[in-house]
Amino acid sequence: MAAGSDQLLAFIKFLRGKDVPISPADSLDAIHVASLLGYADREQLKEGLAATLAKTRHEDVVFSEAFEAFFAPTSRTEMSARTPLGSQQDDPSLVSQDASQPGNSPASGTGGAGGSPLEELAKHNDEIAALLDQPLVKALTSGDEGALAVAVENAAAAAGVDQIRLFTQRGQYMRRMLDAMGEEALRDAAIALENNHAAAFEEVQQLRDNLRQRARDRVERAWMVHAQGETEDFLDGALAEVRLGNISPHQMARTRKLIERMARKLATRHGRRRRRTRRGQLNVPATLRGAAATDGIPFEPRWKRTERRKPQVMAVCDVSGSVAAYAKFLLMFLYAVQDVLPRTRSFAFSSILGEVTQWFAELPVEDAVNKVNRFYGGATDYGRAFSDLSALALNDINRATTVIILGDARNNNSDPRLDVLAEIKARCKRLIWLNPESRTAWGTGDSEMLQVIRHCHIATECNNLKQLERIVDKLLADSRGT
Amino acid sequence: METNLYPELGSVENINSRFEAAGYICTPRIATVVYLAAALNKPILVEGPPGVGKTELAKTCASVIGKPLVRLQCYEGLDEAKALYEWKYGKQLLYTQILKEQLGEILDGATGLQESIRRLHSTGDVFYSKEFLEPRPLLKAMEEEHGAVLLIDEIDKADFEFESLLLEVLSDYQVSIPEIGTIAARSKPVVFLTSNDTRDLSDALKRRCLHLHIPFPSIELEARIVTARVPELEQRLTDQLVRFVHAIRDLDLKKAPAISETIDWARSLLLLHAERLDSRLIHETLNVLLKYEEDINTAEDKLSGILRQLETP
Repeated sequence: MAAGSDQLLAFIKFLRGKDVPISPADSLDAIHVASLLGYADREQLKEGLAATLAKTRHEDVVFSEAFEAFFAPTSRTEMSARTPLGSQQDDPSLVSQDASQPGNSPASGTGGAGGSPLEELAKHNDEIAALLDQPLVKALTSGDEGALAVAVENAAAAAGVDQIRLFTQRGQYMRRMLDAMGEEALRDAAIALENNHAAAFEEVQQLRDNLRQRARDRVERAWMVHAQGETEDFLDGALAEVRLGNISPHQMARTRKLIERMARKLATRHGRRRRRTRRGQLNVPATLRGAAATDGIPFEPRWKRTERRKPQVMAVCDVSGSVAAYAKFLLMFLYAVQDVLPRTRSFAFSSILGEVTQWFAELPVEDAVNKVNRFYGGATDYGRAFSDLSALALNDINRATTVIILGDARNNNSDPRLDVLAEIKARCKRLIWLNPESRTAWGTGDSEMLQVIRHCHIATECNNLKQLERIVDKLLADSRGT
Repeated sequence: METNLYPELGSVENINSRFEAAGYICTPRIATVVYLAAALNKPILVEGPPGVGKTELAKTCASVIGKPLVRLQCYEGLDEAKALYEWKYGKQLLYTQILKEQLGEILDGATGLQESIRRLHSTGDVFYSKEFLEPRPLLKAMEEEHGAVLLIDEIDKADFEFESLLLEVLSDYQVSIPEIGTIAARSKPVVFLTSNDTRDLSDALKRRCLHLHIPFPSIELEARIVTARVPELEQRLTDQLVRFVHAIRDLDLKKAPAISETIDWARSLLLLHAERLDSRLIHETLNVLLKYEEDINTAEDKLSGILRQLETP
C-alpha cells in the first residue's frame, strides 16, 4: 500500500507536469479512491482515478494517455520485445537452448553445445571467469530480474537521476548510471575480445546493450516524472516572449495550445464575475421583509438588481504583409475567449476594409485567419480603411464598445484620416491601438503613430504573446466594469 | 461514514447487476464512480451530450436504493429562495396582525420598560422558526430521514453565483440559515449534478465532485441498452437499428441522435410491427431520430449507402 501510494504521488506529479491542475485535496481523494478500489484491477483503478483527477474532457484525454504511459507494463517486458537477449532472461530455462540456435546473433552458432561462447571462453581465461563472477554480470546472464532492478535503482540513486531537468541531460545521466553499476568491466572485456573472439564479443555486446537499455529506461522515466513538465514550461515561457512575427510554422501547434491555455485562464478569471440579473422585477420577498417594520405596508419596494453588461469588442486588423502575422494571433486570442466576450466583431483591411466576423463563425479560427489574409492582404491605406469602418459600423459603436486596432500605422505617406479616428474615439468606450513595432520606431519614416496616439485611449506595443495576454486581460477586466 | 446507509451501492459488481435489473446498463466507469460516490460521500458531476442518460442515472439510482428522488431543475436566475429555503412571508405578516392582541396579554402587569422587554425576549423568535420556513429542494434533501437521491439537473444553466451557493451543500451536506443556524443533513443523500457543457463550471464546484463523463455508447453497449429498455423488439432488428444509428452519428449533423432517441425509435418500430429496416420504413420514421429538417435531408441522401453497409456485417 505504501509503495502504491508513493507511485500514485509520482503519477500525480507527472500529471501536473502535463498541465492538469491537481490540488492537494484531489491527491488525498485519489489516495482514498486507490485504497478503496485496490491496485489489482487496473481498469477499475483507472476509471476511479479519472473521476477524481481529470475534471474536464480535455484533462480526461490527457489523463488517459498519461495513465497508459505511466502504469505501462514494466520496462522488462517492453525490453524483451526489443532485444532477443532480454527474452532469454525472462525465462532462464531458455538460455542454453537459445545460445545454440544459429541466427540469434551472427556468431553465436559457433559456440559449443555445452554453453555460450563466453562460458566456453571462461574455462580457459581467468579474466573472463572473474568477469562472469561479478554480481552484476551474473544477474545479467542468469536473468535475475530482482537483482538487476536493485542494481538499477542503486545506480540511479548514486547518479542522482531524479535531478534530471532537461531532455539533453539524458545521455549524461545514463553514462553516470552505467558507471555506477560497474559497466566498465564489461566494456574492457568487449575491447579485449573484439579482435580474437567474435562470438564471445557479440555476447558481451548484448549484455552491454541490455544494461544500457535498462539505464536508458530508468533515466527516461525520471525525465518523464520530474522534468518533462518543467521543460514544457520552459519552452512555453520562451515562446510567450518570442516576437510573434518570428514564430515559425513548426511552432504553430504549440503556440495554438499556449493561446488556448492563456485564454482559458483569462476566461475563468473573468467569466465568473459576470453578473446577469433581470431588469425591473419586483423582489417580493425583500419588499415584504422590509414591510414587516411598517406593519406590512410596503413603503419601500425593492428591485432585483438591474445590471446587465453587454460588452462588445470590435477588432480591426491590418493584414498587410508586415503585420499579418500579428493580426493572426490577436484574432486567435480574441476568438479563444468567446465564452466571455461573445459579441466580438472583427474587421480586416489593407486598403479596403471588410467585416470578417462571419468567417470566424463558420470556420475554425486558423482557416478563417488564412482566408482573411488571402482576401484582404495588400498595401495599407489607413485613410480608406477608417472611412470604410465608419461607413460599416460607426452606428454600432457605443459606450459599451471597445475598439482594438492592430497595425503599424505606416501609411505610405497618404492622409490617414485621423478625423474619422477621432470620431470613433468619441463614440466608443475605449480605443486601443496595438502596434507590433517597438516604441522607438514609432514616428520614424512614414509611421503616423505619434499622431495616432493622440486619438487613442491606450496605445501600446504588442509583439509577443505575453503582451497580448496582458491586453486581453485588461479588456476583460474593463468589460466587467461596464 | 454511513456506509450502511446505501448497502445496494456497496460494491461495483452489486451496482452493475442491480442497475441492470432496473434497466440501466452501466459502463465500468459509471459503476465505479457511483460506488466511489457512495463510499466517499461525494457528489457526482455527470457531463455529456444531451440524451445519453445523465438524468436517468440519478432516477435509476433512486429506484435501486429505494429512496425518494429530490430534483432541482436549474435555470438562469435560479436563486436561494427557490433552491434552498424561503420564509413564508405572507404567513408571517398575517400572524403578526392576528397576534397583536396577544401582546397585550404578555405585557399585562409588567412594570417598566425593562420588564416588558424581558418578557418579550422570553417568547423567542417565533416568526423566524421552522414553522415559517418553506423548504426548497436542497433543504428538503437534507431533511430526509433515511437518505435520498438529490438530482441537481443542468447546473450549467444556472448562474455562476448559484454555484457558490451549492458549495456548502456539496462539501458539508448542510444548509446555513442566518435566523436559525446550521441545518445538517439527517443522513447524507447521494448527489448527482448534471451538465450539458454549455459553459465551464467553477473550479471550486468541480473540486468537490467526482467526475463522470458519459459519451455516446459503443454499438454493443447501445444494443444492450435498447434490449433492456425495449425487450419486445426482435434482437436482429435491434442490432440492425443500433448499427444504423451509429452510421447516422458519423454524418455531419446539427444534432446527433442520442440514446433516448434510439430508444424512442425502437419503440416506434415496435408499435409499427416492423420486421426489418428498409428505406420506406426509415423514410417514414426518421423524424423520431432526427429533430432538424436539414439533418433529415442529409441522412436521406446517404440512406442507400448506409443500408448497403448494414447488409454486409
